[in-house]
Formats: sequence, structure tokens, C-alpha cells
Amino acid sequence: MDIVNFAHGEFLMLGMYTGLLTAQLTGVDPLFTLPVAAVVGFLLGVVCYSGFVKFLLRGPIVAQLLGTFGLMLFLRNLSLLIFGSEDRALHHGILVGKSFDMGLGIIIPATKLAAAILSVLSFVGVWLLMNRTKVGKALTATALNGQGARYMGIPTERMNTLAWGIGGATVTIAGALIVNFWSVNPFVGLLFTMIAFAVVALGGFGSVPGAFFAGLVVGLIMEIPGLWDFLTYMTDAEWMGQFPMTSLKYMWIYVAYFVIMVVRPRGLFGWKQ
Amino acid sequence: MEAIKNAFDFSDFPRIDLVIAGTLGLLLLVFPAFPHSSFTMATMIQFLMFSVYGMGWNTIGGYGGQVDLGKAQYVGIGAYTTAVMLIRWDIPFWFSMPVGMGLSVLWSFIIGYPLFRLKGHYFAIATIATSLVLKDIFEVWGFVGAARGLGISPIKYSPPDFLRLIFKEDVYYFYVILFFFFVGLFYLNWFRKSRLGFQLRCIKDNEDVARSLGINVHWAKIKTYAIATAFVSVVGSFHACYIKNIEPEDTMSLDISILIALMAMLGGAGSLWGPIIGAGILIPLKSYLKEWLGAAAGLVGIDLVLYAVIIMVISAFEPRGIWGIVEKTRRRKRR
Repeated sequence: MDIVNFAHGEFLMLGMYTGLLTAQLTGVDPLFTLPVAAVVGFLLGVVCYSGFVKFLLRGPIVAQLLGTFGLMLFLRNLSLLIFGSEDRALHHGILVGKSFDMGLGIIIPATKLAAAILSVLSFVGVWLLMNRTKVGKALTATALNGQGARYMGIPTERMNTLAWGIGGATVTIAGALIVNFWSVNPFVGLLFTMIAFAVVALGGFGSVPGAFFAGLVVGLIMEIPGLWDFLTYMTDAEWMGQFPMTSLKYMWIYVAYFVIMVVRPRGLFGWKQ
Repeated sequence: MEAIKNAFDFSDFPRIDLVIAGTLGLLLLVFPAFPHSSFTMATMIQFLMFSVYGMGWNTIGGYGGQVDLGKAQYVGIGAYTTAVMLIRWDIPFWFSMPVGMGLSVLWSFIIGYPLFRLKGHYFAIATIATSLVLKDIFEVWGFVGAARGLGISPIKYSPPDFLRLIFKEDVYYFYVILFFFFVGLFYLNWFRKSRLGFQLRCIKDNEDVARSLGINVHWAKIKTYAIATAFVSVVGSFHACYIKNIEPEDTMSLDISILIALMAMLGGAGSLWGPIIGAGILIPLKSYLKEWLGAAAGLVGIDLVLYAVIIMVISAFEPRGIWGIVEKTRRRKRR
């Protein structure tokens, strides 16, 4: 669709709140709040598109960027107004606080494992939707060449709305998964927005498998500080210990984005120049 | 000489504009003589600071059409250079400001070279990324005070100190920033009629045509980026002396970058008066909304919600800003 959504992280934040509040209010286990989050996300995406983003698309790039930034500010501060600024986290649930010991000192928290499995499932879902259905083809066509798609009888306006709905739904699902092991406040969004940009840039714009593999790579990049600590411990090098690597944890994502964009703007699997 | 004559030559604007601009300029000059609260004074200084920021952004973002959302890093470089040099080596503002400017421009060349290989959205996000990287580095760098930042203690100096820009009364700061404001305005007036200015507008309209006309597009963009950087860095240095307490979160956060771009866009990107109009509307709105709604009513965030709504409405329905509306009505009248 060729629009950058700064409010993406805010969608995720709202997904986290949805998961958290549904779990707390209804007493359902946090893992089963995903459908609620998906519905909320879909509606959010549709409302944002048809109420606001549609008008942005007519304007120049400056207006698009600042418009979605305004949307981000709006959602963030609205949730600040509603939910307050304190950190909230889940304390109950089937999986919260449990973990599998794999031996060799490898311990996998159950929440993260569940999140990984469900992420793979939703990836497969989106991939099937994009590649095996007529709707997916129409979505791709609209993104590649809106005018051409309209000539072919594809209702592009509806496809764009649907794309925003799917985007909103997947990201709120991710939010409802993340809230199992990450506390939420109204300001978490920007970090995830940048992570998402880095993932998409690395994977290539418009490529679902690309996003999947790039997500793995970015996850590894985020663990550089852990590797650094391990190497410091192994080599016992003093200068390595003094370097404040853990505070620079998220910097590597931005560096990665920059380097990827400059070296290979197409990404790993991208179809767009 | 030609350049100076050009800088003071506003004859291509309609007379009514010049009368309004001249009156407002005179009002700004005599503003401190009127009775005002210290809050109004602080707002006025903020307005002038952001006008100059916006003017800087306007060169690359307005005339050049390259949406740069990473200006805050240069605010940071300017502010930190001045603060570090003043605290550690007692070097006055008027010497550290050009140094900060030089450092900013150097950094802008280093990152500008790869940055301008990108276009549109990707360029914008990459500028954000560089800005955030620099902010993260400053947050852990012990030499510049890490996340706690630096504080210039005014007790050590005897205000008013015109060399180090340490004053007790805000009036002095007002006139210093007003001086920069007018310098920036006249420079920009020259810039828009200069060779580079015309090249940039050509690039904005159609990059391929610009290239085929023999314009070195990449180099023209980098040069303009450096000019924009210099503007921002100077005000960053001023910010250090005015606020006296700088942290990475204050000076280099993404919000500052966006605010800078927003000033120019709300007023009308690519016009001489745009950033000034934008800052003149947004800054008072922001500080008074915060004062009345945020602090008084105890509703945290509601001022920013309203603010965000304004941004959204402007960008969706009038992307060319207030100056765009003015020009549209004028064109309609002429017909």
C-alpha cells in the first residue's frame, strides 16, 4: 500500500491492553484472549483506515508520515488518559511463570514457547491467505499497482480496508501474546514500531515469508548483548565488561535498519524497489 | 554584495504580506516593553526557537521535499557541544556554537551520504533510526553525563554574561534568539532564490528531470541537509544555555524531530513564512493547552490528544498547510 504506519506499535500496545483486560475482567486464561484481541485489532484497523488513512493517501508523503504519527500520538495519549501511566503485567494464567528445562542449562519459559508456536501459526495463516486465496491475490495486486487492480475489477478501496484490518488483527494478536511476558504501559509502542520497521525492511516490503525470516534475524540481533556478556565471561576481557552493551540493546535494531536500507534497499525477499 | 542585496529583497511577495510581516517583526522587537508574564516570555522564546528549527527543516523538507524526521540529533549535538565545552573547559557560547555547528555538519555529511540513497518513506524512517542511535549512545556515554545529562550551573558565572550567554532575565535570551531568527529569515530569503534553491525545487518536482538537466541530485541534497543541520545545531547550542539542563530524552527524542517537521508542515512547507506561521500557532497552543488542561484539570495526556487531532486533521485535509490555504484563496480571487 506504500504507506508507513507509525501507529503500528500503538496497535500492538492496544492489543496488549486488550489481552490483559479481557483476562483480568472475565477471568479467562490470557492465552484464550487472542480471538478478542484479533476482533478488536481488525475493527481498529478498519476504523483507522476508513476514518482517517483514506484521506491521507491523497496527500504528499510528508502528510502521510505526519498523519500516521498524529494517529500514534492520539492512540498513545488516549490510552494514557484511559489506562494511566503505570506498568501493568499479568500475574496469573496457566503458563505464566512456568518453564521447561531442556537440560544443558537451557530453560524455555512456557509463555514464550506458546507465543512462538502461536506466532508461527498466525504466520502460516497469513501466508495461506496471501498466497492461496483469491482475496490474497487481490490484496497483493492492489498493493503492487492500485490503478491496474482497479481496472481488473478489484474493489481496491475495500481491499485496502481489509489490508488494514488484517494488519491490525495480526499485530493485536502479537500484542496479546507479548503481554504474557512483558509488562504494558502506554509508551511501549515506539520500540515495537521500530522493530517492525527493521523486520519489514530486512525481509523486503510486501513479503510475508521475508518478514518471518527477518523476524528471526532481528530477534537474534536483539540478543547481541547477551552474546556479548557470554563472550566477556568466556574471555575474561576487561574492556568488554566495561562497555555498556546491555544499555545499547535496542540501538542494534536501529543500526540494523539503517545498514539494511543502505546496503540492500530491496530486503531479502522484497519485490519493490 | 549581490547575495546580501538578494537576502533583503522581498519584492516578489505581495505588498500586503510585507506590511503584515513588517508589523509583526516590529512587534517582536518591542515585545519585551509590553507588560507580560514570565510564562508568556518563555512561550515567545520557544516560538522563536522552533521557528528557526522549522526554517532549517524547511530547506531540506520544504524546498527539497525530503522528509527528514531526525533533526533532533543535531539539536543534541549542538546542545551537548556547547554544554560540554562550557562546563569542562569554560569556553564561551560564541566559540562553542560554531564548533557545534561544524560537528553537526560533519556528522550530517557522514550519514547524509548513505542516507540520500534512499527515497520517500524509507529515507524518513532511516533518519529516525540514525537519530535514535545517537540518542542511545548519548544515554550511555559517561563523558556527556549519560542518561542524567549535563547541567550548567549559573552560580559560577556572574549574569548577565554576554559571552557565555548566562542571564538571569529571559529578555536577554529573547533578543539573542530574535537575532538568530532574523539572520535565519534573511538567509532563507537568499537561499530560496539561490542556485541551490532552484535546484532543490526542481528535484522536489521531478528528480529524473533534475538529473537530466545536469543537476548533481545526490550532492545537492547533501549540501542542503548540511544547511538545515547548521540551523538546527545553532538553536541547539542556544537551547543548552537557555534551559541550562540538557538530557538525551529532552533534546534528542523523536518528539522533537516530529515537532520540528510539524511546524514547517502546518504553516506550509516550502514557503518562506510557513515555519514561522506553524510555530506561531503550535507552540502557544501546546504550552497553553498543557497549562489549562493538563496541569489544571489533572488530565494527563489530554493536551496531547487534542494536539494529535490537530495534526491528523491538518495532514488529512490540508496537507499544504495554512500557507496553502492562503494561496488557494488568493488564486481564486484573482480569477
